[in-house]
Amino acid sequence: MALVSMTVNGSAVAREVDDNTFLAFFLRDHLGLTGTHVGCDTTQCGCCVVHVDGRSVKSCTMLAAQAQGCAVTTIEGLATGDVLHPVQRAFHLHHGLQCGYCTPGMIMAAVNLIETHDGALTEEIVREEMEGNLCRCTGYHNIVKAILAAADEMSPSHAAAE
Amino acid sequence: MLNERAFKAVGKPLPRKEDLRLVTGKGRFTDDFNMPGQVWASMVRSPYPHARIVAIDVADALGMPGVLGVYTGVDCARDGLQPIPHNPVPSTNFDMKLTGPGGTKVFIGSHMLLPADKARHVGEAVAMVVADTRDQAQAAAEAVAVEYEELPWVADTLAAAEPDAPRLWDELPDNVLVDSSFGDAVATDAAFARAPHVVTMTAHIGRVTGAPLEPRAALGSYDAETGRYTLYAGSGGAVRQKREMAEVLNEPPENLRVISFDVGGNFGTRNRAYVEFGLVLWASKKLGRPVKFRAERSESFLTDYQGRDLVTEVSLAIDRDGKFLAMRASNLSNVGSRCASLSPLSKGAGLITGSYDIPVATLRARAVYSCTMPTQAYRSSGRPEVTFAIERLVDKAARELGFDRLELRRRNMVRPEQMPYVNAVGSTYDSGEYEANMDKLLALADWQGIEARRADAKARGKLLGVGFANYVESSIGTPKERADVIVRPDGVEVVIGTQPAGQGHETSFAQVTADLLGVPFDNVTITLGDTDVVSAGGGTHSGRSMRHASTVLALASVEIIEKGCALAAHCLGVERDAIQFDEGVFRVADRNTSLSWFDLAGRADDKSLPESLRGGLKVRCDSEMHTPVFPNGACCCEIEVDPETGGLEITRYSTVDDVGRCINPLIVHGQTHGGIAQGVGQALWEQCYIDPGSGQPTNGSFMDYGMPRFDNMPSFKTQIVEVLSPTNPFGVKAGGEGGTTPAPAVIMSAMEDALSEFGPMDIEMPATGLKIWSAIQQGRARLAASKTA
Ligand code: FES
Ligand code: FES
Repeated sequence: MALVSMTVNGSAVAREVDDNTFLAFFLRDHLGLTGTHVGCDTTQCGCCVVHVDGRSVKSCTMLAAQAQGCAVTTIEGLATGDVLHPVQRAFHLHHGLQCGYCTPGMIMAAVNLIETHDGALTEEIVREEMEGNLCRCTGYHNIVKAILAAADEMSPSHAAAE
Repeated sequence: MLNERAFKAVGKPLPRKEDLRLVTGKGRFTDDFNMPGQVWASMVRSPYPHARIVAIDVADALGMPGVLGVYTGVDCARDGLQPIPHNPVPSTNFDMKLTGPGGTKVFIGSHMLLPADKARHVGEAVAMVVADTRDQAQAAAEAVAVEYEELPWVADTLAAAEPDAPRLWDELPDNVLVDSSFGDAVATDAAFARAPHVVTMTAHIGRVTGAPLEPRAALGSYDAETGRYTLYAGSGGAVRQKREMAEVLNEPPENLRVISFDVGGNFGTRNRAYVEFGLVLWASKKLGRPVKFRAERSESFLTDYQGRDLVTEVSLAIDRDGKFLAMRASNLSNVGSRCASLSPLSKGAGLITGSYDIPVATLRARAVYSCTMPTQAYRSSGRPEVTFAIERLVDKAARELGFDRLELRRRNMVRPEQMPYVNAVGSTYDSGEYEANMDKLLALADWQGIEARRADAKARGKLLGVGFANYVESSIGTPKERADVIVRPDGVEVVIGTQPAGQGHETSFAQVTADLLGVPFDNVTITLGDTDVVSAGGGTHSGRSMRHASTVLALASVEIIEKGCALAAHCLGVERDAIQFDEGVFRVADRNTSLSWFDLAGRADDKSLPESLRGGLKVRCDSEMHTPVFPNGACCCEIEVDPETGGLEITRYSTVDDVGRCINPLIVHGQTHGGIAQGVGQALWEQCYIDPGSGQPTNGSFMDYGMPRFDNMPSFKTQIVEVLSPTNPFGVKAGGEGGTTPAPAVIMSAMEDALSEFGPMDIEMPATGLKIWSAIQQGRARLAASKTA
């Protein structure tokens, strides 16, 4: 057992957990943040993506202890009060989700892609960069659309135009 | 009659009501639930495809930390648990009637929660360990010592049908559980004997799995005080799971509550009960603790109900002008170790002639047991299989007999004036404009521009291939549905027994209700998934939900409007006949008074009301509808193959789908997209492969099962056509599965076109890069040999 402490969605948390506890289960089982999903055992599906110190991470493969002292953002921490993040809103408007199981990881990965990519995103870049996330329901078509729409909305030129 | 002009919500691409909780992490999936005092179950699974269970020694496992119990098939039998009543033989009036050999009753091998006699597939659970934590349960499962006697096994579909194949069930002389014939064999034989041309093909539409991204899970608890069980388990219909689990546990259904809120994908895999559902309930009573199970992804690959696995042999008799004279088909379905569903075989049987007017046909439909995970209806049950057969056969006929592949189709398509059309095996197609679909599709896909694109691809060293397929499918499904419609001062609630896993019922059903009652869409909420609230319902499968829901809601709306009129008459002090209802308002002709639904609901609980008007403004309505509908469409795709590597890219993909009335185009297009991906996946990457030497399944993770991904799928052009079905009030057919149905055929059609310069070739699905590359090498060698010869 080890005491692990970190900041999750802006709040300081500390829990005594088994050494082998992965971050995904730390969030789900110990903090009750069940928005982060687990869809595989092999780091392949991306349902579990969260941000750790500003980077997309598959939380099913990172030990909670490795996030000691880090700032973690989960899907629950993305909206500001009742105001959805532009990527959340774009997924809703463009029907980028069906069952919604892949969605939290998908949105977290997309936010990070938009925030960190240099230059304009294209369909090709989105398809290549998002390859680590699987969705069984949507055929990806509307997810790509949603990400491009959100990227457009979040781009500095769009903000300047407003 | 429906007043279409009053439609404000129906037909609009409204974003979904369910999204808000799902994009903010507030979904309620099975594994999100936990209960105080909860403990964990883990399964001991058979490593052999077929083995007698000689003995199970649980002593070591029982001594391990945290272990509370270890249970086997002998314990299940001792407690009198019943097999899962899958009820696999489709039985509506319009389903094809399947029988055992010689017209006998179909033999259904019993599906116990844990078998006491033998394991019949790799991964079958033979014992369960329950412990304080999941890790402890998993560790102890490793320590359960099972003594097996290995038996001869068979997994392959054709091999399993051989008379001397290793047998799974002692009750049968071999593995064949269904052998039925349909159509007119004599007339078909006569037509074949006269025909100038006969074209024949055999294909195996392989075994795949649904791979919903939420691994299946179950949480069971027992309340000793009330004697009731609660099961949290995502499924395709909580009402069905409740009935079946009650039977397994020998309990009256009212002693069970099943909860299935958000479900992370289904595609058919969750429409049959899993043994773990019963096991956690049973153990929760024995231990007095809630018991939870969550499958690993590898367990999902091994033991989720799987799909397809059909061998089809088809021939077509054709006259000199290209008119189809007769068809003969023989379909063999591999149901796996137990028979969970015969829907794929039955569904396909009714559709063997596809979109074409073929005067006579005959079909032999067989099913076999094998040492594999049971199969179930999977995304468009049975239809992609038969669509593959007829469409690939028509392509082959065109090639061999020198017809243009589109022209040959046009010459034989069922025409609108033939509707309702009874096909040669007795299915009645309700409506559709098949050739018009084709024309719309060719325009959408820019068929004209193909040769220019082919030349462009060639200049880049690529081989362009164009695939084409028509399709017609059927939506039947459980015939009964129930809806409760409750009007309250602040909104309308509908309680209904379908079970979405992403299809957006909370939105589309609200659209229908809003327009039927003339209330705003935002004021309607849909309640699903808790059997203590939802008393009946048929669940979601076979594209049935929108059609059955809109039908029962139309009936319920008539009743509740009548109730509203009576109440309004009382409140306004006039005769019932003086009340007119229009667009959500009850008024008296020539008078300036009116009441809205919500005004009325405010008075519906009034104690002063006469007896007949009391009890709230609500109705419960049941409907029963057997008549099937036949969604249809056409599909075209373009691929580019790199002849040096066998690599492939899908460059264009277009579909036209007649879904009948489309309630929400945003949702229906989305369903089509997802459906396409699953059909394409089967054609190119997906396969539950079983090693022929050892009988071991080799796909245990997303590393070794090829999934459609962001970077191997294109964007799609999808067009909706609405030829209203005359069979139900809204004219709904079904959406979504039409994406899957033609997809394997259209991809393989494109492949054949791309590689046509190498002559005809036989590539089995999934057409992986290696298979394509090898086929090109063989084709080149053949061409070189014929040149030197
Ligand atoms: S759960 Fe699949 S990648 Fe983390
Ligand atoms: S929406 Fe179901 S897996 Fe993506």
